[in-house]
Amino acid sequence: MRKKVNVLLYNTGAVAVGLLISACLLLFMDVNPAEVCAQTLSKIVTDKYNLGEVLVKATPLIFTSLAFAFTYKANLFNIGAQGQFLMGSIVAVSLSLALQDTVPTALLLLLVLVGSFAAGAAVGGLIGAAKAKFSANEFLVSMMSTYVVTNFMDYLLRTSLQETKAEYMQTDAISAGAYLPNILPGTRVHLGFLLAVAAAVLVWVLLSKTSLGFQIRAVGRNPFSAELGGIRASRIYIIAFLISGGLAGLAGLTEINGVQHMLLRDFNASIGSYGIGIAILANGNPIGCIFASILFGFLNIMGTTMGRLPGLSIPASIIELIEGIVMICVIISYALRGYMENRSEKQRMRKAGV
Amino acid sequence: MGTPAVELQHVTKCFAKVVANRDVSLTVNTGEVVALLGENGAGKSTIMKILYGLYGMDEGTILINGQPVQIKSPADAMSRGIAMIQQHFSLVPTHTAAENIILGNVHGYIPIKKYEAKLRQIAQDYGFDVPMDRPVGQLAVGQQQKIEILKALYINTSILIMDEPTAVLTPQESDSLMRFIKSFTAKGNSVVFITHKMKEVMEVADRIVVMRSGAVVAEVRRDETDEHALAHMMIGQDIVPPVRAAAAEEEAGQEVLRFDHVSLREKGGTELLRDVSFTIRAGEIFGIAGVSGNGQDDICDVISGVKQPTEGALYFCGEEISRVSIRQRNAAGIGYVPVDRYRDAMVMDMDLAENILLKGCFDKKWVSRGFIRRRELNRYTDEIIAKHRVKATGWSDLAGGLSGGNQQKLVLGREVDVGKRLLVFNQPTRGLDMGAVDRIHHVILEEKEKKKAVLLVSTELTEIFEMCDRIAVMHSGRFMGIYRSGELTTAQIGLLMAGVSGEKEAAQ
Repeated sequence: MRKKVNVLLYNTGAVAVGLLISACLLLFMDVNPAEVCAQTLSKIVTDKYNLGEVLVKATPLIFTSLAFAFTYKANLFNIGAQGQFLMGSIVAVSLSLALQDTVPTALLLLLVLVGSFAAGAAVGGLIGAAKAKFSANEFLVSMMSTYVVTNFMDYLLRTSLQETKAEYMQTDAISAGAYLPNILPGTRVHLGFLLAVAAAVLVWVLLSKTSLGFQIRAVGRNPFSAELGGIRASRIYIIAFLISGGLAGLAGLTEINGVQHMLLRDFNASIGSYGIGIAILANGNPIGCIFASILFGFLNIMGTTMGRLPGLSIPASIIELIEGIVMICVIISYALRGYMENRSEKQRMRKAGV
Repeated sequence: MGTPAVELQHVTKCFAKVVANRDVSLTVNTGEVVALLGENGAGKSTIMKILYGLYGMDEGTILINGQPVQIKSPADAMSRGIAMIQQHFSLVPTHTAAENIILGNVHGYIPIKKYEAKLRQIAQDYGFDVPMDRPVGQLAVGQQQKIEILKALYINTSILIMDEPTAVLTPQESDSLMRFIKSFTAKGNSVVFITHKMKEVMEVADRIVVMRSGAVVAEVRRDETDEHALAHMMIGQDIVPPVRAAAAEEEAGQEVLRFDHVSLREKGGTELLRDVSFTIRAGEIFGIAGVSGNGQDDICDVISGVKQPTEGALYFCGEEISRVSIRQRNAAGIGYVPVDRYRDAMVMDMDLAENILLKGCFDKKWVSRGFIRRRELNRYTDEIIAKHRVKATGWSDLAGGLSGGNQQKLVLGREVDVGKRLLVFNQPTRGLDMGAVDRIHHVILEEKEKKKAVLLVSTELTEIFEMCDRIAVMHSGRFMGIYRSGELTTAQIGLLMAGVSGEKEAAQ
């Protein structure tokens, strides 16, 4: 229990320090950080739409961070959440376009849910299989898989999926019958956010309460002992990647049917990489992923809002700097916490001993 | 007596979870052999690793020839004439002896022939017969150790620390090592000899420092003590060896495990096991003696299912299981306590209940509809903790927080329940304190009483003699013979372990 409080304390402390350092950066732009922050915050907090946007931005991040966190528990690295997400998006938009006016909304969304999960899982599963069968380096394979999927998507956007006008590299917009229902009037928050939270809880249950989750964790921490327990590590690699890919694929559902309503080139190009950072920020804890994603969603909105402050001309890209700094601070805090816990333990020992 | 060569004063060293050394003071005089005696885990290696600069100390001072010094790395230590030979050699197997010895002390162009000649000279001075131009990976362990010693001699070491140097040697090789130590110290050098074997201490040491749980408990001259007194100091209590029921010999039980001409070859072609055949019956303890690394681990791997025999077959209760999965073997009732529990038997950053579950995650008893039955599992874990006297607060302790002996008792508790018919122990008492050893021996005998078949691999001859009904001696992947308990003397077994076959009894 004390340990959990400690983790929370260190994490919030690190985020606060990161924000503080970031605020100092504003000094270089000849603006008063305190004033700018106050203005930005009040703009976000007082505007319901802006607050909602935080959750909208957080939704796909929860999925991609869960994708990374899941394999991370098996000591595997899925760097390819972006590709799995795009594959999910391709299937989501195709299914929606094909079935939107023939199938009732609820059923359609259910089909898209299953389809986008399966699409991401297929990409992930291939990576896992490559690891299991040929002991390929999953890090490299998953990273390269993103490029393959991105180019595949571009190809489709130029051919069979291209809009009827055949002008831009994008699909037709899906009809309102295929939208994920809005859950907070006055904002763009959609059902996908609740799905993401539910997914995080499910992942937590799977990992900590079930035999499969136990096997995944055991293989991740000590594959030799796990093998002697009869757990086949290669099988676990494939399963972990299947589920991880599927989670990333679900972000396709929320982004296509919840936000963008069409697929276009360079679609959400960085949610995969943010997912990795967020998962690390949450130390691989699925529930932590929810909060870390919301934090990043918030930072994202803060950046846009800052950029729009009248008469200051702060580049919106400052937010990437801030996100980077916060992430570095959190990672440093892990090392610091480890060191401090070690030291206090040592002191306790010495007191007890001598 | 002049200034001591080395003096350690009040050294304390804590690791994250344990105090490894507590206020240790120690002197080594010139020309003296000091034996550092203690059980595994008593802190002998730690204190010497501090002297050698591998570990930093938390408190204390080190004096060399009366001068206080800071030793921050092995390089510091070596420049002051201190060398240490680790339990696990630090040699590059693909390099030749000469290359290994000069490693780290040469720059730029290397006239290797010149070095080889110089090294041969040093080797000759001590009567070492080591080929300088062959890859050390091809040499016997005893020779590799000589190369380690030459490494130390090459840098003009005056204080040589040896960590359990005889653990990997045959009795004959040990004798030659003892001769070296005597001639080395006769030249005015000092040796610190870390060991837990009384016999060697009595043979070679001038002075004996006994350590127990991180502290020095006694310091005696060799001629003032005897093995019995030393044992008492080392252990701190008298241990009663488990009483064995006078082997009810021929009343042999059913065949449980049979190796039928099993050979095992690595992908590269190295033969790990050569034509091994034996049978273990219910209610029997079958021992495998031998210097470690002669194929004992491979036998265990073949039984547990980690490796599959390249030739031959093994049968469990009459059925061939050569290619059966590990999971099925566990379910069939084969329990296995591997030699390296850190690697093969536990997950250190999981709690104790999860470590118990490691062998039960397919068992209906602990898993229903995919969910772990935590309450039952936790209760069972607490039962094991109580039954085997594991020192832990309960199922929620992290495995890594337990001491080695307690970890082993937990693994043992788990495996005796998994292994309903066959138990395989690979050096189950290695590195444990006497209390834990005692407990483990008792459990093994209990399981034998329950008519389970037991395979016990050990490098400790006393353990083999004490526990086993029949004994096989292994050398380079081959059985040198199978003998009844009491048939062999230590000397005979020593020869067999070295690969010198006596009148080989084609057993079974």
